[in-house]
Amino acid sequence: MQEPELHDLSDDADYAASQQQGSASMMRCDSGKRSSSSEPEGAEIVYLKDNVTIHPTQFASERISGRLKLIKQGSSLFMTWIPYKGQTTNARLSEKDRKLYTIRPVSFADVRSIRRHTPALGWQYMIVVLSSGLAFPPLYFYNGGVREFLATVKQHVFLVRSAEDANVFLVNDFENPLQRTLSSLELPRAVSIASVPSTPVSVRGSASRENEERTDVGVHDENSSTSRYNGRQRQKVHDPARDLSIHVLEKFSLVTKFARETTSQLFRETHSNGFDAFERRNTNQSVLDYNHKVDEDEEVPLKSPVAPDPLELERFQVLYQDHLMPTSTIVKQKAPYRKHNHDDEAATNVGTFELIDIKEFDKLSLVWGKPRQPPLGLEEWATFLDSEGRVVDSKALKKRIFYGGIEHKLRREVWAILLGYHTYESTYAEREYLRSIKKTEYETIKNQWQSISPEQAKRFTKFRERKGLIDKDVVRTDRSLSFYEGDDNPNVNLLRDILLTYSFYNFDLGYCQGMSDLLSPILFVMEEESESFWCFVALMERLGPNFNRDQNGMHTQLFALSKLVELLDIPLHNYFKQNDCLNYFFCFRWILIQFKRLGSWNYLFIHFPLCQHLFRVHVPIIM
Amino acid sequence: MSYAYLFKYIIIGDTGVGKSCLLLQFTDKRFQPVHDLTIGVEFGARMITIDNKPIKLQIWDTAGQESFRSITRSYYRGAAGALLVYDITRRETFNHLASWLEDARQHANANMTIMLIGNKCDLAHRRAVTTEEGEQFAKDHGLIFMEASAKTAQNVEEAFIKTAATIYKKIQDGVFDVSNESYGIKVGYGGIPGPSGGRDGSSSQGGGCCN
Repeated sequence: MQEPELHDLSDDADYAASQQQGSASMMRCDSGKRSSSSEPEGAEIVYLKDNVTIHPTQFASERISGRLKLIKQGSSLFMTWIPYKGQTTNARLSEKDRKLYTIRPVSFADVRSIRRHTPALGWQYMIVVLSSGLAFPPLYFYNGGVREFLATVKQHVFLVRSAEDANVFLVNDFENPLQRTLSSLELPRAVSIASVPSTPVSVRGSASRENEERTDVGVHDENSSTSRYNGRQRQKVHDPARDLSIHVLEKFSLVTKFARETTSQLFRETHSNGFDAFERRNTNQSVLDYNHKVDEDEEVPLKSPVAPDPLELERFQVLYQDHLMPTSTIVKQKAPYRKHNHDDEAATNVGTFELIDIKEFDKLSLVWGKPRQPPLGLEEWATFLDSEGRVVDSKALKKRIFYGGIEHKLRREVWAILLGYHTYESTYAEREYLRSIKKTEYETIKNQWQSISPEQAKRFTKFRERKGLIDKDVVRTDRSLSFYEGDDNPNVNLLRDILLTYSFYNFDLGYCQGMSDLLSPILFVMEEESESFWCFVALMERLGPNFNRDQNGMHTQLFALSKLVELLDIPLHNYFKQNDCLNYFFCFRWILIQFKRLGSWNYLFIHFPLCQHLFRVHVPIIM
Repeated sequence: MSYAYLFKYIIIGDTGVGKSCLLLQFTDKRFQPVHDLTIGVEFGARMITIDNKPIKLQIWDTAGQESFRSITRSYYRGAAGALLVYDITRRETFNHLASWLEDARQHANANMTIMLIGNKCDLAHRRAVTTEEGEQFAKDHGLIFMEASAKTAQNVEEAFIKTAATIYKKIQDGVFDVSNESYGIKVGYGGIPGPSGGRDGSSSQGGGCCN
């Protein structure tokens, strides 16, 4: 099985043999009951190798052989490996196993490296490692041909031998990660690597969903000896079980298109309009001792070529009700959380995420297609108020804050309104009055638990349990921040008092882990105990269902999230499906505490209904 | 990094018993006294060697609070090993063991190896559960038992490795069908030499999280 150390393949006998075997193996296939295959338009098979095999276990009887192909479409190169059907007699290898290992069209834009193993004795194999860090299992070339494979790849993509390991070939290894991303985005209308899912979901009858940029590539049916192109013929399957109306789906389609376009645009934006904002950011930055947890620059600057009015999307929100939590920040990750290498990249239908360097991000000058604004300051804040202190146009205010944030010194006043503790219609005097009343009310509730004597507590298990839990948790909340660090920190005690008081104010809900994470920034901003309590109460009015014992609120949102991804990013959805994570429990914490530990916060207080943001927040983080 | 097997673990037990600290001690060899509380499920991994074979432990660290049970329960499935942790200074965390076991029995596969850990054994002066009680409970329920301290690292390594050794032995004894991943065991790529002996021995890339 040894091959000469040459890259010239013109005399590769293996290749010729495999060509013959290729046709033989096609005959073997049983009739396809699966969906017919579709090859993207203009796709050309530039390499085909039969008897390329995966060894899922150590047993020789459990190998899965299949056909490896390189498909060229436009300037993009894709790889597929499709196991033969009905080839094995081994009962332990089910059809499911074969499906599991199937490599559906994967773009070389998503491949990081290929490692070849061409031992003098034994079979050659190669391992394809994706940009995400995932690797396909070793593909054994029973008939040889690894070099030929590499040579073919080299003709179509930028392939260099790794300096560290002569057997590793790096794909598209541009030095600058950004450049790399750009190169992957240059793909002519990136072809989705999605296979047609077993339950077709992505495509509904909605006309606006017809997106010319996407072409689903189906699983290649072994039965079809020549690849067929299905054009833009789309499955129009109506699933009555689906609980989302067509109307909603239409909205989704807009979102999809928008999301994709903005994502692509994002990277270009980085180069062009960047510097101004970066400078402004530096000059405007207020002192933030809260370790950037609350930062007015949290909103993400994204340029959209479409730039729909965000308010327009409120209609969507109405349709989708409150299943989606309002989130406005996005992929933006603060450095400590995002110092990943390329391992966390992932290509999906909407582009390659995770390459976004925070530095690059900060340079962006546009938020949703509009110029990023400086944080809302005192003077401007006054213009939003009438002479008695009422917010005249709450929508405009929210919009303003959405695009620029708030100066730190103003937060205390504005958050109380944004959170819903004070109404937009309230006057200065009314707010002042409410503050004093509420302070008394708070003290009354607080006194309820403070007056419980040790004797009484002995016979009050529920109280002891809650108190014990809160005691344990407040010392495990944001203690790395100076505001909460150290022994006997009074702020930690305030956290405890407020949470315990809340558990008496809302005895049914009580205390649940995660609440301390939400309270912590509020206390930091409001500083005052009673004010913090009432702001927290207002926030819990909105987020309370998430903390219900039955986790109903969470399940609803995780479900909504799964549907969003399913509609927006089929490859990602399929990946989750394959890995049995469709319950999205891995997003649990992010949603429960609203991405707080990831450093994004302002959105909590802007009930700004932007489902795209949900998508942009979740999906990149998921990656 | 290549591995011969990947074992999936889950760490369970009441809130505040030190689950995350045990994991951190095991994966990072450090103790962090101020540690954010766990919400939902978190995750850690480390390579160990058993019988000269590289084994990757993939460890799911769960939140202890009752209200997260519906989430954490779903992680029992597909776990080969469980560390059931209580705090030797808090009697109630020991008293709750039975309900944790019940949970595990209901949601895990029957062959899951369970290691009972009495954590915080460095706080002997505040001990509320004796070692004998722990041993007895383990014996009664067919668990492996150890007292450990995430703070001093005492027995932490041992607890994880002994669990792995037990699972490994079960594999050798044919208890598991290792090709069935629902047992929480995955055979690595390149870790086990194939019958042909055809590989060149260099490690495969990427690890085991791909299909």
